[in-house]
Amino acid sequence: MIEFRDVGKRFADGTVGLESLSLTAREGEITVLVGPSGCGKTTSLRTVNRMVEPTSGAVLLAGRDVAQGDPAELRRGIGYVIQQAGLFPHRRVIDNVATVPVLQGLSRREARARAAEVLERVGLDDALAQRWPAQLSGGQQQRVGVARALAGDAPVLLMDEPFSAVDPVVRVELQDELLRLQADLGKTILFVTHDIDEAIRLGDRVAVLRVGGRLAQFAPPDELLAQPVDDFVSGFVGRDRGYRRLGFLPATALRLVDLPTRADANGDTAGPAVPGEWTVLLDGSERPAAWLGPDGARHDLGSVYVTDGDDAAADAAGTLRGALDAALSSPAGRGVAVDGAGRYRGGVDTDDVLALLDRSAPR
Amino acid sequence: MRAFGYDIDELVIAHVLLAVVPVILGLVIALPLGWWAHRSAGARRVLVPLSGALYTVPSLALIVFIPVLLGTPILSPVNVGLTLTIYTVALLVRSVAEALDAVPATVTTAATAVGYRPAGLLFGVQLPLAVPVLTAGIRVASVSAFSLVTVGALVGIQSLGTLMTDGFQQDYTAMVATGIVGSVLLAFLFDALWLALGRTLSPWARAGAGV
Repeated sequence: MIEFRDVGKRFADGTVGLESLSLTAREGEITVLVGPSGCGKTTSLRTVNRMVEPTSGAVLLAGRDVAQGDPAELRRGIGYVIQQAGLFPHRRVIDNVATVPVLQGLSRREARARAAEVLERVGLDDALAQRWPAQLSGGQQQRVGVARALAGDAPVLLMDEPFSAVDPVVRVELQDELLRLQADLGKTILFVTHDIDEAIRLGDRVAVLRVGGRLAQFAPPDELLAQPVDDFVSGFVGRDRGYRRLGFLPATALRLVDLPTRADANGDTAGPAVPGEWTVLLDGSERPAAWLGPDGARHDLGSVYVTDGDDAAADAAGTLRGALDAALSSPAGRGVAVDGAGRYRGGVDTDDVLALLDRSAPR
Repeated sequence: MRAFGYDIDELVIAHVLLAVVPVILGLVIALPLGWWAHRSAGARRVLVPLSGALYTVPSLALIVFIPVLLGTPILSPVNVGLTLTIYTVALLVRSVAEALDAVPATVTTAATAVGYRPAGLLFGVQLPLAVPVLTAGIRVASVSAFSLVTVGALVGIQSLGTLMTDGFQQDYTAMVATGIVGSVLLAFLFDALWLALGRTLSPWARAGAGV
């Protein structure tokens, strides 16, 4: 648990970085600090490992004031991921990751063994371990950065805009990876970003900060989208927040409809099963493969609605957003629902989704 | 090997020692000064112009002045050695400061964040990363030292420069040419050695970007 108690930071030149920030990042959760530039989010993050010393207030880590003791010792017990990874260019990937274990006093050999474990954990190929950082892509460098932060086995991770320098596709991959790791590891993570979408995607709780580090709202993402406290927050979370909030609304009450289906184990695509109707073509293992139009032609499936994905990557699994998207993207006007293993479960009717939506609308 | 009445081996050894030892000594002195200039803007405002000014003092003046100042014998090689050390420091203070400046802030921030103390940061991260820029500075200092050693011959300090001064007096062109070619070759040889050492210490610097 990370607790900010009236933390203020006034810089030597008189500018106020933080006025008085109080908030608690809960154990085992991802707490996101988000806000426009100059809102003091990075400053707040750095008060935790004392790269910035607050001028008032205190930061408590697991109940203990971080201001007591040796800052270098403190930092060795806190994972830190920086924008653009900040890898050491003169150390091979494996030795970058082994840095913290070595500082913690492990022998180089033990530290490398530990580093190899962590590299595997973040999904980096063994072959990359002996490369220089300059030989990696931006996304790979960032993964190494995460691995380096994990290698010290710290219960707390500080992440300062770790994914903002990579392209959007890789960014989503890295976010998924982080959620997957977090599901395994349950670290207490403080994550700084200026990207509200990233905040909503990753955060268990999101703190929106105004300039000067004043806390505008601190809430779980769905609440932030549903009930922004003021114009600043609603302006910051964006125009399509209504649609994005669907990603947090469970569609468990959604009734799936029956769709005409046709098994197609042999790749035989002759004629629709039900004349004049859209039919779902299933493959040998009951997975939907395509739509058959009323004219018998094959059409793309559109996005499918995953009812109960246990994969963190399918973040729309079981939500109204996933259901609505499936219905809207289907050529047949109705979406196809599958279970976590990709097997056909039924159809999604747009009207049913909208009816559910109506009922869950905030009053 | 003997030629022109001189033991050439002895001259070469004297030449190399007089050029290389001051470069190493100068580097050792310039490292903390350059680090200081890198750390403190105030120190930089004094050290960088001062070292630049030192370099403008004529070498012959220094070589002659040092015995007066330190009481060393006028024919002592120490006078030349000290002069070259001063020039090396003058060249390298700025080099060291700039080499340390060139280490990306993200890297030093990350190093601090993972728990390096200042000394560990300097020796484990900043200096290794400064090697390429530093090597460039050392090479300039080394080449300049090899050529300046010959000036010592004017006041009777033995080096390949002796072949030039004596050859000139005896109007012996082959002797002068041997001195010139020899000292240029030595300068090239040690330049290559410094380059090789720098590359060995920074294998990462030639790792291309991209996959």
